[in-house]
Amino acid sequence: MSAAPGLLRGRSPGLTLARRSLALILLCLLLLPFADLRIITVDPWGELWRMALGFAWPDFMALESPLRAIVLTVSVALWGTFIGAILGFPLALLFHHSRLVRGFCAFVRAIHELFWALLFLQVFGLSAVTALAALAIPYAGIFAKVYAEILELTPRAPNDALPSGVDRLSRFLYAELPLVWERLASYTRYRFECAMRASVLLGFVGLPTLGFYLESAFREGRFGEAGALLWIFYALVATLQWWGHRRLLLPLLVGALFFLGPWPDVDGELLWRFVSHDLWPAPLLEGNLPGLGAWLAGLPDLLPAIGNTLLLALMGTVGSLLLALLLWPLASRHFGRPWLGFGGRMLLVVVRSTPELMLAFIFLLMLGPSMLPAWLALALHNGALIAFLVARHADGLTLGMPNLPASGRYAYELLPRLYPNLLALICYRAEVIMRETALLGMLGVATLGFYIDSSFQYLMFDQAFFLLLVTAALNIAIDAISRRFRPREVPLDDPCSR
Amino acid sequence: MPLLELDRVDLGHGTQVVLPGLSLTFEAGERVALLGQSGAGKSTLLAEIRRRLDSEAAWCPQGHGLVPLLSVYHNVYMGRLDRHGALANLINLLKPRQEAWQEIGLLVRELGLEGLLRRPVEQLSGGQRQRVAIARALYQQRSVFLGDEPLASVDPHQALRLLARIQARHTSSIIALHQHRLALDHFDRVIGLRGGQVVLDAPARELTLASLDALYPDAGPSNHEAGVAAST
Repeated sequence: MSAAPGLLRGRSPGLTLARRSLALILLCLLLLPFADLRIITVDPWGELWRMALGFAWPDFMALESPLRAIVLTVSVALWGTFIGAILGFPLALLFHHSRLVRGFCAFVRAIHELFWALLFLQVFGLSAVTALAALAIPYAGIFAKVYAEILELTPRAPNDALPSGVDRLSRFLYAELPLVWERLASYTRYRFECAMRASVLLGFVGLPTLGFYLESAFREGRFGEAGALLWIFYALVATLQWWGHRRLLLPLLVGALFFLGPWPDVDGELLWRFVSHDLWPAPLLEGNLPGLGAWLAGLPDLLPAIGNTLLLALMGTVGSLLLALLLWPLASRHFGRPWLGFGGRMLLVVVRSTPELMLAFIFLLMLGPSMLPAWLALALHNGALIAFLVARHADGLTLGMPNLPASGRYAYELLPRLYPNLLALICYRAEVIMRETALLGMLGVATLGFYIDSSFQYLMFDQAFFLLLVTAALNIAIDAISRRFRPREVPLDDPCSR
Repeated sequence: MPLLELDRVDLGHGTQVVLPGLSLTFEAGERVALLGQSGAGKSTLLAEIRRRLDSEAAWCPQGHGLVPLLSVYHNVYMGRLDRHGALANLINLLKPRQEAWQEIGLLVRELGLEGLLRRPVEQLSGGQRQRVAIARALYQQRSVFLGDEPLASVDPHQALRLLARIQARHTSSIIALHQHRLALDHFDRVIGLRGGQVVLDAPARELTLASLDALYPDAGPSNHEAGVAAST
């Protein structure tokens, strides 16, 4: 008789994943003292209470022309996604054949929509072009990657059954595309939901979407108005399946064209000057290498910013992991009474539909500008999103022993089957969290985004562009690390996780 | 006149040889039944025959190879995808070609699928899908029919009718199947595979149901009964 193995000893895949996750959590705890988690405001609970009141008693009457903002928000999301898909599809066909295409896609999607918006803002002003380009460009990169992954999984049997001598295009149209059409469409639909959130966020840089009014209402403490705007946004997302039905897509797209605007007068010369001159360090353009050193020395101190960005990303990832573990039973049919499940599901939908920046902004008003509000926002949004997907996965499983107590059901029946998938989702999200981390800098958290935002404000485009490149490089690195870390052989059937 | 000769060839996928040193000759005009357990190498052999005959043979694969989202019409049309240009095929996806629509309509009626021409294949039953796959092979209008268990998911009565149609439209046929009675009564020659070897190759009229049991080492009496029941 041998002794029972010690704590966490063993080679089973479950234990391996558990060790890996615990190591990640431990790393986060060790680094936590370096994070700035102060609560700066005097009366956080009072602030929260006033916001909750505003949310409970929304003041719809105070809104001035909300319809315009709603229509613009939807139009931008619709066309941004559409153009992104049109650009991304051909790229997806080349994706696995060309390193150049893969690199290009990794680069464009490593920069958050809002940073693209800040960049285009300098040339196209507060116009529809800025809004559409800010969505379409990163989405083209995302679509290219995800479409390519979906196309790769096309069942081969119908293609093999074709007579020999069928041309490539006919093969693709008959025996490949129809087989993956549903998945492509469902991912595009999910991306449109993301585009709705991003479109709201564009209001934060001044484009007149819902976010613009939300930000000013929150900033000026008109919480009733802010509550009303939030309710409108949730209603839009919740009713998406009806007004966003595929039969209505064409009329919606055509109709949206009339509401997009304003269209800018593009000054070609100015545009060229911006691209060829303003974005690059002057010493580089002059070929003055010693000057380049001086230029680099003139940058703000990047190491703390990079450290903060990475730390916040780690904290966000670990926070999402813990929250997802806690929250998913809320929305699963295996736990609690049906009404409770419904309530839990609604809560998760609300939390995940709220743009992260919006959540961070609310916490920021509550707690003051430290890393705490950013952390809470990242963990809540991503944790809820993953919990929702995991609950959906759990609902598809049948229990072997349905009479176990809840803790047994959680720990023995369900979690072992769900955990590899959950961890894989977290690893996919790590890239997204990283991108959002940089973004939170715009709210004053001292991450890279903070310096990007201020560089743009001071019209130091060369510096802003350089920092954007640094951010993109960091994102690509994190993506590579998380791909190593994530459990292999997990069939990630849900493309809507990225 | 031989249709095809295999002389001591090693067949398999990649580096894994499934059928080593195989020698077989198929005559034109022959109706051949391929029997054997799953994994015995029937599909490997058929794949090789298909590769050699290329455009002489119509092909009906195991698991049908249908596209669920496309209609019955389009799935059958795919049998002749190689005879039209890419543009014509593209337009046909949007608006069916008149003459193809008529022809496929007749074919589909013959197989008992009338009125289903527009129906997506994903909405059909297993037996209906099977018939769509057969219709696609018939639509290719070749002289040889190659089928990998094309009668697996239809009832015995229907299997008989479908087989008659297949054989009426092709001068030669090589078909893998499980129904022993069908193999003995409606084919000229039976080839039995077991563990990568040809263990049986004889005219069908010289064989009995009992002599086919050699192909299934662990078949108990109850299995045998079931096999007989399924093949009547």
